[in-house]
Amino acid sequence: MIFLSLKHLTAKKKQTLLILIGVILGTTAYVAISGMMLGFQNYIIDRLINNEAHIRVSARQEIITKENIEKIFYGKNVHTFWSIPPSGRRDSLSIENPKMWFDKFDSSNEIYAYSPQLTSQVIFKRGSIEITGKVIGSKPNQEIRVSNISDYMGENQKFTDLGDTGNRIIIGSGLLSRLGARVSESIMLSTGAGRTAPFKIIGTFTLGIAAIDNAQAFASLIDIQKLQGVSNRISDIGVKLSDVNQAQELSSEWKQFSRDKIESWEEANSATLSVFTIQNITRNFMTISIVVVAAFGIYNILSILVTQKRKEIAILRALGFESFQILEIFLYQGLILGIIGGIIGIVLGYGVCLYMSTLSVGSGRMMGSTGKMLVAFDTMIYVKAFTIAFISSLVSSIIPAYSATKLTPIGIIRSDGD
Amino acid sequence: MSIKLIDVKKSFGEPPTNVLKGINLSIEDGELVSIIGRSGSGKSTLLYIMSSLDNASSGSILYDGDDLTQMSQKEIHELRNQKIGFVFQFHYLLQELTVLENVLMPARKHQMHKSMEDLALSLIKDVDLAGKEHRMPSQLSGGEQQRVAIARSLLMSPKYLFADEPTGNLDTINGDRIMALFQKINSEKKTTVIYVTHDKEYANRAHRKIEIMDGLIK
Repeated sequence: MIFLSLKHLTAKKKQTLLILIGVILGTTAYVAISGMMLGFQNYIIDRLINNEAHIRVSARQEIITKENIEKIFYGKNVHTFWSIPPSGRRDSLSIENPKMWFDKFDSSNEIYAYSPQLTSQVIFKRGSIEITGKVIGSKPNQEIRVSNISDYMGENQKFTDLGDTGNRIIIGSGLLSRLGARVSESIMLSTGAGRTAPFKIIGTFTLGIAAIDNAQAFASLIDIQKLQGVSNRISDIGVKLSDVNQAQELSSEWKQFSRDKIESWEEANSATLSVFTIQNITRNFMTISIVVVAAFGIYNILSILVTQKRKEIAILRALGFESFQILEIFLYQGLILGIIGGIIGIVLGYGVCLYMSTLSVGSGRMMGSTGKMLVAFDTMIYVKAFTIAFISSLVSSIIPAYSATKLTPIGIIRSDGD
Repeated sequence: MSIKLIDVKKSFGEPPTNVLKGINLSIEDGELVSIIGRSGSGKSTLLYIMSSLDNASSGSILYDGDDLTQMSQKEIHELRNQKIGFVFQFHYLLQELTVLENVLMPARKHQMHKSMEDLALSLIKDVDLAGKEHRMPSQLSGGEQQRVAIARSLLMSPKYLFADEPTGNLDTINGDRIMALFQKINSEKKTTVIYVTHDKEYANRAHRKIEIMDGLIK
């Protein structure tokens, strides 16, 4: 019956074209918006996964609350009334038992690499210029296996040049500018305790995040321990997993037996990820709205067509055509519109995505190394777009098509006679 | 004996209006039968029940001994497609299709339209529409459209041809041509033709005239 469906569609070209445009626009919009949003999201997630540790073990941070105190001292069955509720924070400056963690990581197949770190708040000084910031002490050979900091360094600079000791430092490019310094120059680092030491700048990095680029630096772990006057102290261990999908599970497992603060990359970036969820909901809502409008177009036009074609339905039934064949005539029309509109829509959407990927939207690494808009070309975007077009067309044509099968030839002939 | 109606009754609505009040009728193969009666007498209802387009409230309709009321929907659709041809007062042509495509429609049910194209062309010629195979219905006169409908009804070489006031919308010249076609089909193809008409002259052209009055055969 596809023959008749095509005849109906080609007989009313304007009507067909209008519905087709609706389906095409919906599909194109879905592909383009998804490509743009997912491109950005994938880039950010990729950065979160690859640039940072998958799990970070940090020194204990515990907030004191009245509930904690009550639980420890009085149990559940005693009602306690406080004139001044307890408050405070029990922090630790270092990880309690780093060796336990190192042994665990060394013996586990799930761990790809780990890097012990000591983070210190410092004042960067050059002449009279003083800037407060943070320096991370790490073992360079281990650090580069956990983070991608090497990728963000200046030309011909190596992170491993920090060495195990030697008071060398790699600083954010923004910080370098703010200090008015240049590479190979020395600057002074001071801790809150008043210890000061000179560090030679051997390189810079640019992550594209101003908060880090303007106030952060890297040095060797031993040098920072010396600066703080604490040997063997570490405040963090960055852990890279063989399978990033295990981050949440392993993080929960480790929390069971340690008082140290343990955070997976998902927990650490939950705010960013929840923004993505909201973005996705908005994207789906917008594009589905467009497709629903197109689907209503199909529904309305097919419903009108069923009424207009009552006489034809009557004669087809009289000629021996069965209910399902009548259903096919109208169902195929919706499906043809859905399939053609879907295909043209995803091709157009692909074209729009290609075009968007050539647009310059600013410089810096936030938009990728080329400074062009980041656009995702995942196959699933196209599969979903086509499926939405196909299913919405199918659903919107089923009701009028089914109503056509309920018409009996004698009912139509009698009503025409009336 | 080809078609036999046994005590066929039909009522409509609530409270029921009895349109047919017990019709007993036999139509032999190859007969040319006209059904006449006043408006509302039940003649069209009788034709539709006899031709399987409508259901009787009670009674039996036998086609070569097989009871229509006991057949499945699939068997009835097959019967309509293979053994019955219909011509209505309104031609009911599919406006998006050409004359040839319209005539070939019954064959599309079983995807036989390509193999039956020659037959369709000869039927178009038989109804004096040769050369107009590729015209659209809107490019034909009312009489020509009705002749296309007749050609379509004959494509599957039906054993029975039912016509409900086929000349009702036509002028005398075209009406005469249609009636002449029915007579020709009946005599040459031996098709059983049963038609409802208001026109006494056309009714008299049949081998047998059945008059319906108040739901009964007079």
